[in-house]
Amino acid sequence: MSGFKFIQKIKELFNIASPNADANKKQIIKELLKKLKLRRISLKQELKNETDLIKREAIHDSIKIIKKQIKKGKEIMDA
Amino acid sequence: MKRVLLLVVILALSYTFIQSKNMLHIAAGVAIFLLGMQSLEEGFRFFVGGLLDRFLKKITNNLYKSILFGAVTTTLMQSSGLVAVIAISFISAGLISVAQGVGIILGGNIGTTTGAWLIAALGLKINIATYALPMLVFGTLLIFQESRRLKGIGYALTGLGFSFLGIAYMKEGFDAFKETIDLTQYTADGFMGLILFVLIGAGITIVMQSSHASLVLILTALSASQITYENAIALTIGANIGTTITAIIGALGASFEGKKLAGAHFLINTLTGFLLIWFVPQLIHFIDITAPFLGIPKDDYPLKLALYHTYFNLICVLLFAPAVHGLVALLNRIFKQEVTPENEIDDVLFINDVALDFPDTAQATLLKETKHLYNNVFDIIAKGLSVTKEDITSGMEIEDILKLRNKALSINMDEYYERRIKEIYGKIINFAIMAQGKFADESNRQLIPIKNATIGIVEAFKASKHMQKNMLRYLESDNEYIKSEYNHIRKNLIKHLRTMQMIFNTSEEDVALLLLSKLQLDTKKYDISANKSLDNLIRTNKITYTMATSLMNDTTYAYTIASELTKVAHTLFIHANAETKEEHEALILNETEVTDLTHANEIRSHT
Repeated sequence: MSGFKFIQKIKELFNIASPNADANKKQIIKELLKKLKLRRISLKQELKNETDLIKREAIHDSIKIIKKQIKKGKEIMDA
Repeated sequence: MKRVLLLVVILALSYTFIQSKNMLHIAAGVAIFLLGMQSLEEGFRFFVGGLLDRFLKKITNNLYKSILFGAVTTTLMQSSGLVAVIAISFISAGLISVAQGVGIILGGNIGTTTGAWLIAALGLKINIATYALPMLVFGTLLIFQESRRLKGIGYALTGLGFSFLGIAYMKEGFDAFKETIDLTQYTADGFMGLILFVLIGAGITIVMQSSHASLVLILTALSASQITYENAIALTIGANIGTTITAIIGALGASFEGKKLAGAHFLINTLTGFLLIWFVPQLIHFIDITAPFLGIPKDDYPLKLALYHTYFNLICVLLFAPAVHGLVALLNRIFKQEVTPENEIDDVLFINDVALDFPDTAQATLLKETKHLYNNVFDIIAKGLSVTKEDITSGMEIEDILKLRNKALSINMDEYYERRIKEIYGKIINFAIMAQGKFADESNRQLIPIKNATIGIVEAFKASKHMQKNMLRYLESDNEYIKSEYNHIRKNLIKHLRTMQMIFNTSEEDVALLLLSKLQLDTKKYDISANKSLDNLIRTNKITYTMATSLMNDTTYAYTIASELTKVAHTLFIHANAETKEEHEALILNETEVTDLTHANEIRSHT
């Protein structure tokens, strides 16, 4: 661990300052967005193969939710 | 009985004090020292909330780091008791494993040796009472400050001041004693003498509940030549065994995992003690050889005793560190959690007194107990829908479950509430209120939503109970329309409960985030679709007005169950991981976004 990282860690532990909090938050959201995008692709694939109407409706709902979540995530990333 | 014993002790001590002023000095020294230790602990508790617990979670992820943590914190706080309490509390809340807790205890044993060195090297050689008085003044000044940190420093400083003053009193008492009476005439030699003094050392430590206080007493008596070096060694072994009783008492209110740790502490110190009793002459010889290398003079017995104490605890760690996992396996065999049979009153599994010691443990415990309550309520809501918990968690299609369970399942919900909900619910609320009163605002903010989730779980149960009566009646009705409507409610709620289980069981956070928003969307949709179908049935006279009002009420109850459980799932998922809480929260759809989606769906179904 470099000196800077060590000091940051200590500061974080002692609640003195957390300058990286925003960057950390964005990093976590970025990773979540990546997962959500992959999930959307797999759901779209599932929708193509599904013939049952009720199940298609449920998958469709999920895709719409993910779409909204990705939009929300992007807004946070751009802020 | 306890009161009689206390009275006897008070009378005996009073008689002794009248007879000997020196005894009064020594006893007052012990009392002041113990008061100091308590104040020191209190001081560190102010820092524990949010600081020590964060260190503990990050630093104790393997055995050797746990040992290091135990050694460093005990050195800093000069209280192995407080470190044991922290470890028990964290184990009880499930934040660290028993093996990690054992590591902390082993490290704590090493940490206590620093106390012996400090007392032997400084406490008995310089007039520490000179430092005690300013410490007491500045400490008291800081105690009256608003800031928690300053208050903590104040308590710690006062604690140190009292401890120093206590040591000074004990030293003075023993020095004066030397001039009137020679206690060494009561020295016991040989192996029996060793055993006798081990028992006395353990007894003194059990009474004083502090190995530090015993060590100070032993060291001051040794420095005043009131006991022999050999007897002091035996007393030290006894003190190391006696100190485990403090942890055992501390673990009485802990979970069975906490009890395991207290058991481990007892086994480690007692077994090492019994082993080393046989090797006292050899170890004394070894100290005589090694002491000069450390610059310890030949006749400085207090320092030699500190060295013995260090060797004792190092041997203890060397013996048990490689065997920690075996020890944990043994403890798992001795301490087994009792599973409450279905027909007996279920009680809390995680809530205990020690969980209230620190904000993090209180939150983790509250979260776990709420999940425990949810599991019981999940079981009864399923039964209220005339299905079983296993049906819901199975991969069976919901239509197939309904076909399989087409008969109403009669169950006494009130009796179930008394047996498996009431006690746990009451204790959770009580625990949450106690924790809210004890911790700072920041911690309170984390506790309130979990407490509300508990209330939501019970609200869902109540709605399920109200719904059950009609469910029983209409599931066996000849009117296919009403039967179908109730099956529709069942279908939606089974789906809801299944999604909840998936949220709790999945390790994929994106899946949980999706399902949480889906729960919200589904809840909104049930309400709309149920109202539409109800209107239709009434208009076409397919159900009677009595059936219609029942269905209307039960649709509302079903909506209450779904919406309350959605909030519960949200809270329990969000609070399960404090580090990503904010980010998860940010991506879950809010009320307006869900309403937008519901309307978009409606428009799509109309076109």
